[in-house]
Amino acid sequence: MSVLDIAKGMGVTLGHLFKKPVTVQYPDEPAQIKARFRGRHHLLRHPDTGLEKCIGCSLCAAACPAYAIYVEAAENDQEDPVSAGERYASIYEINMLRCIFCGFCEEACPTGAVVLGHEFELADFRYQDFVYRKEDMLVGVKGSKWQRREAAAKGTAVRVALEAPGRPELEGVEH
Amino acid sequence: MRVKVNDRELELAPGTSVIDAVFAAGYDVPYFCSQAYMSPIGACRMCLARIGAPRKDRDGNWLVDDATGEPKVFFFPTMMATCTTVVMEGMVVDTLSKEVKDAQRGMVEFTLINHPLDCPVCDKGGACELQDRAYEYGTGRSRFVFDKRHQEKHHPLSELITLDRERCIHCKRCVRYFEEVPGDEVLDFIERGGHTYIGTLEEGLPSNFTGNITDICPVGALLDATSRFRGRNWEYDHTFTTSLDDASGSAIVIDARTGRIERIKSGINPEVNKSWIDDGIRFGHEYAGDPERLRRPLLRRGDAFEEASWDEAAAFISERLGGLSGKDVGIAIRADATLEEGVAARALAELIGTGQVDHAPRHGPSLVPVHGATLQDLATATAVIVLGDVTEELPALDLRIKDALKGVSPPPLFAHGVPIADLRLKERMPRARERLTVVAPYRVGLMQHAGRPVVVPVGGEAAWLQAMTDVANGTDPDEGALGMGRAEAQGLVRQWREASKAVMVVGGFVLASAKATDAAAALAKAVGASQLLVPPMANGRGLEITQVLPSHARYDYRGMLAGSAKALLLSGLDPARDPATAARLGACELLVVHDLFLTDTAKLAHVVLPGKSGYEKDGTTVSLEGRFLPVRAAPVDNGEAEDLTGVVKVLGEAFGKRLEGRSVRSARRVLRKELGFDPAELDRLGLLHDLPRRRSGVSVGPRQEATGAALRVPTMVRPEYLARNPRLRAALGDLALRLHPADAAGHDLHDGDEVRVPVDGAPWRLRIVLSEAVPRGVCLVPATPDAPVGRAHVALEQVVHERRALEVA
Repeated sequence: MSVLDIAKGMGVTLGHLFKKPVTVQYPDEPAQIKARFRGRHHLLRHPDTGLEKCIGCSLCAAACPAYAIYVEAAENDQEDPVSAGERYASIYEINMLRCIFCGFCEEACPTGAVVLGHEFELADFRYQDFVYRKEDMLVGVKGSKWQRREAAAKGTAVRVALEAPGRPELEGVEH
Repeated sequence: MRVKVNDRELELAPGTSVIDAVFAAGYDVPYFCSQAYMSPIGACRMCLARIGAPRKDRDGNWLVDDATGEPKVFFFPTMMATCTTVVMEGMVVDTLSKEVKDAQRGMVEFTLINHPLDCPVCDKGGACELQDRAYEYGTGRSRFVFDKRHQEKHHPLSELITLDRERCIHCKRCVRYFEEVPGDEVLDFIERGGHTYIGTLEEGLPSNFTGNITDICPVGALLDATSRFRGRNWEYDHTFTTSLDDASGSAIVIDARTGRIERIKSGINPEVNKSWIDDGIRFGHEYAGDPERLRRPLLRRGDAFEEASWDEAAAFISERLGGLSGKDVGIAIRADATLEEGVAARALAELIGTGQVDHAPRHGPSLVPVHGATLQDLATATAVIVLGDVTEELPALDLRIKDALKGVSPPPLFAHGVPIADLRLKERMPRARERLTVVAPYRVGLMQHAGRPVVVPVGGEAAWLQAMTDVANGTDPDEGALGMGRAEAQGLVRQWREASKAVMVVGGFVLASAKATDAAAALAKAVGASQLLVPPMANGRGLEITQVLPSHARYDYRGMLAGSAKALLLSGLDPARDPATAARLGACELLVVHDLFLTDTAKLAHVVLPGKSGYEKDGTTVSLEGRFLPVRAAPVDNGEAEDLTGVVKVLGEAFGKRLEGRSVRSARRVLRKELGFDPAELDRLGLLHDLPRRRSGVSVGPRQEATGAALRVPTMVRPEYLARNPRLRAALGDLALRLHPADAAGHDLHDGDEVRVPVDGAPWRLRIVLSEAVPRGVCLVPATPDAPVGRAHVALEQVVHERRALEVA
């Protein structure tokens, strides 16, 4: 190795010293997420009626390669329906430890009810806390179970450290 | 008949339909309206194929193709529905050409015009014939942009069946089913053309066999309301097993999900239930998932029960038993226990050293007839004598009797099973009613199909049978008991004698009396009929064959309850409704109850052990015709529940013994020796295996027969579980006390009243049903496992009104 080679290498180093750093100061600064990133699921509602889009058909569970989804359906009370039509999901659970975020559930859904969003901060302490139920995923709920627990304990707003452009499938989900 | 299907030539019997020829050749045509065991009508036009046949000239010679020298094939000008076309000599069937595929594709598209896109919310989705055929034969893309037909979406045909009229494709299977199979015409097409829908004239579906239409509906129009939205078809665990609800040995499929039984469908056993089951079997499963089910053993501590482990319970029982003489211990199991459980009960009795072991309910006479018939014999009989109310007692027999009236012999089997289209079956076939004689102490449902209905007085079966035997033997009969003229009776006897195959079905009313049973056997012998004896519960015949019987008549179940046993182990039995029995049970030194629920008897027990329902057991059962059938356990969450083999295992361990029958496997080792075959190797269709009649010489019948002017009558549903089967109860009503309107007036009783009434001294809460079918002076109350079919005393003068129907209205 000659002196020239060393100088070349140092030149590269020197050049980078004056470049803008690529390090993201996460979580002090929000992570920039791409639109088609697949994170935690959202269960959407019809924006006009507020009824759940999910009809409890279990096709997401059938499509799921990781057997992460469990659905139980029930009949709607026509006076006070949960979803449009005869049937709704009385239980809808996704085990986030099993989930591989492949998005097959989203593809299988005939009503566009389950859509993978951008949230990825799903770390938690107990196994049971990784099982997300309907109330953890319905549109309007922000953050993972742990983030919401922490916010409730501190009395602050749920802080989700990410920014992402919207996606038409994520109807009604705000970031 | 030599037939060529596409490239394959095959030889078929004359009368075969072309659709079966295609399937026999290994090819496929789509179809919706055809259904095994029902008449082919060609309603859906789906099974189209191009069919041709050679023709003969006037002299009877084949017209020959000049080019080849072979008989010339003339094709029909249009596509033919293969299900209604019969094969002809030299026929050529084409199911693969483009014309055929286009025609089939067109029919799928036409069928789908008005079929809603409901598949994600439809309970049939995933097991739907239309879905499958549309996938296999359809275009895959809809060309119709306009609005589809709109009709009622969820119309409750009854409490048990939901109809979605938009989904109906008018295949007419359900309408034909009711007319052809049970003969109850309760459903029909209403309106015409695109407006056609199926409906009933009356409220509900008055038949014992309504659930089968949910199995045969090719789309999701008719659905089981008990499993509505409970799961998708691919999520269910299917268990192919045998029903223990009655002794027919009907094949069933239990669909369970996450440890719960969600629905029961009919299995297929061509020689037993074909593909039909009654509503009692199909819908009577909700009790198995009842939240009140016992999940752990309970030990009595003072007045209360405490949960305990099996080992604690067993230690308690063995300690108590140690202080007792073995001879004072009684073991009684319900007669729907499996053979393996019977072996376990026997092994336990042997260990304890008691002869007091029995199964209940059990009639005195043996359930193995001298000349036994099979269900297939019954279905092909040319004379049928029915003694009792089989439509309620063993509904599968009712359908096989109606097969016999049609006079169509069982179809030949193809490699693909029974024929899809049996061309011998027709819509509205004439039935040879004169072949059927029904004898019962009240007007039973089957009498409308009988050429000769005979209503005998309560307990009058023996006299009638004796009189008919006298007529048959040419001696002087008691003409008063005949219920008809002597000449008519002679004609009847001659008809039975001359019949190529005569079968006598002996129900509980006769079997409850040894005298009547002997008289029935004598009449059967005199006219050359073979017999089918209806056991009071599913495995009565099997438990008799495997000798789960007392060593002496006075040690039978009733004897045990009457005081011959100081310690009792009761499995599935609940005799405490009777106050006198309850008092004696309360005074027992040890009472162990093995049951599903905390019954009245269990509340008196020292130890309560959680039991398994008939859906959760592995084992073997024997049907009324002597067919050994496998029972397989569905995956049901039942806590620590065990069947009797499990109980015996734990008790044996507490005594430091490894008993035979400590598990299903070890019980089967015993059975293999006794029966000569391994029950583990039984397939779903079972095995007809003749065994000698009861081997022990002792008479083990009840010492005294019941008396009384009232009757305990069989019910299709299991009365002990009816309260825990809410859907079935809503559809069929509460347990009823049926009597003649004229009798009711004298006691201020009205239709629909809820009353408390003593039956043989035991209080019962029953709903009054007034019916002209009941003779005057007779009350009908439901039979239970603890008080089987037979005579009873009903103290109508002690009726207490709980709720009057008029107040409700």
